[in-house]
Amino acid sequence: MSTKKKVLIGLGIYALINVAMIVIFGSDGKNDAFQPQNEFKLDNWVEITIAGIDMSINKAVLYLVLAATMTCVTMIFIANRMAAKPNRVQMAVELAYDVTKNMIVGDNMQEKWAKRWFGFIASLFFFIWFSNMIGLIPLPTNTEHKVDIFGIEFPSFALYAATANISLPLVLATVVCTTYHLEGVREHGPINYLGSFLPSGLETMPAIGKVLIWVIELISHTVRLISLSVRLFANILAGHLLILFMGGGLAVLLGLAALGTISFPLVVAFYAFEVGLVATLQAFIFSILTAIYIGSATSHGH
Amino acid sequence: MDLLANIAGVLPVVGEESGGGSFLVQPGAGLMIWTLLAFGVTMLILSKLALPKIGAALEERANRVSAEIEAAEKQRAEAEELLVEYRARLKEAREQADDITARARKAAELSEAGGADAGRQRGEEIVAAAKREAEAATRRAVEDLRKEMATLTLLATEKVTRKSLTTEDHKQLVEQALAEVDFSAISGGES
Repeated sequence: MSTKKKVLIGLGIYALINVAMIVIFGSDGKNDAFQPQNEFKLDNWVEITIAGIDMSINKAVLYLVLAATMTCVTMIFIANRMAAKPNRVQMAVELAYDVTKNMIVGDNMQEKWAKRWFGFIASLFFFIWFSNMIGLIPLPTNTEHKVDIFGIEFPSFALYAATANISLPLVLATVVCTTYHLEGVREHGPINYLGSFLPSGLETMPAIGKVLIWVIELISHTVRLISLSVRLFANILAGHLLILFMGGGLAVLLGLAALGTISFPLVVAFYAFEVGLVATLQAFIFSILTAIYIGSATSHGH
Repeated sequence: MDLLANIAGVLPVVGEESGGGSFLVQPGAGLMIWTLLAFGVTMLILSKLALPKIGAALEERANRVSAEIEAAEKQRAEAEELLVEYRARLKEAREQADDITARARKAAELSEAGGADAGRQRGEEIVAAAKREAEAATRRAVEDLRKEMATLTLLATEKVTRKSLTTEDHKQLVEQALAEVDFSAISGGES
């Protein structure tokens, strides 16, 4: 039997199962009790208020601490066992180190700045990467829906990521923007730095045109804060929502049990996509943009 | 179609601000401070304890690898040199061996030829010696025969004449008798 035939027969059986499921279970009607967005709601576990700011410990704080701990432990562990013949984990970390060192930092700024900012940018990369990856491991953190095991209520397993909350990317992006503006001012002086926003090649343009373009550049610099943070946040949130819906959320929401057999292969695909590409890609994009911003703010090649 | 309509009706709930999803895009000051703390500590630890060590180890490894490559290249060059030298020596040795073989063959041929000559010569010598001995023996026999004849002649003459012969007579008689006997048959025609 040829491969094509086997695939066709497999697909046929799969379609039959789907039809059977629809016939057997039918529709229970739309489910209004299930609120999928509440998977991302932060319930305060430990109420803390310092100087009027709500510093309560919640799911996001746990994921932050987990990400920070995993980043530090893994990196220190690898750093201390830098063997001559590396194993696979070590090779992966070395590759990541090499990428941050050469591709992200080295290619985008002069050596002086690269030396100064490598630690910051590499930390960004690894911190965001670990945060994204931990976000894809199911952990018992859902305190909204508890599981009763022998009379004790345990939080049910859930996927969450600190980076799927706008606060984390936003504060990191704020740090990045502050940093590159400060470095630009330090390198060029405040007036020259603001002047450097204007692209080169506009010497013959009338003053009014220059002012207009400068204003547009200023807006683009301001928008960087939003684009940098929302890109990371939205990508991770969207990935988690897709996994949530395909992993059964949609079937529950619509009261269509049969939908589960259709969406299940999709959740596997989306999960693989998130783990294999999005988690790393977003960490890479965030850190390489940081490097590009610092590099262009400090360069004299305008 | 029903299904699609349902999905379309549900999805906006997620992003709808009033639908209970507004917390998704609402930054919280507390979480931002937590983030700053967590990231700050991570960065501090990484830049102090992890990144420099990894960088140093990688650099050391890169240096070692390049040194090893250099050493390997050097060794290869040396090996090639050695090979050339060995080839030259081998060629030399082969030439020498050929030379020795040629000379040995020549020597063997020479000695073979020389041996044949010597053998022939020796043979001739032996033949000559044997001839000489034979001649000497013949001569001795002829001499003995002559003496015997002389004695016999003497005895016979004394018997016939009944008188003792004087030395002078002896001599004469012997001469006479000997002259009558032909020795040439015995001595091979020499005397």
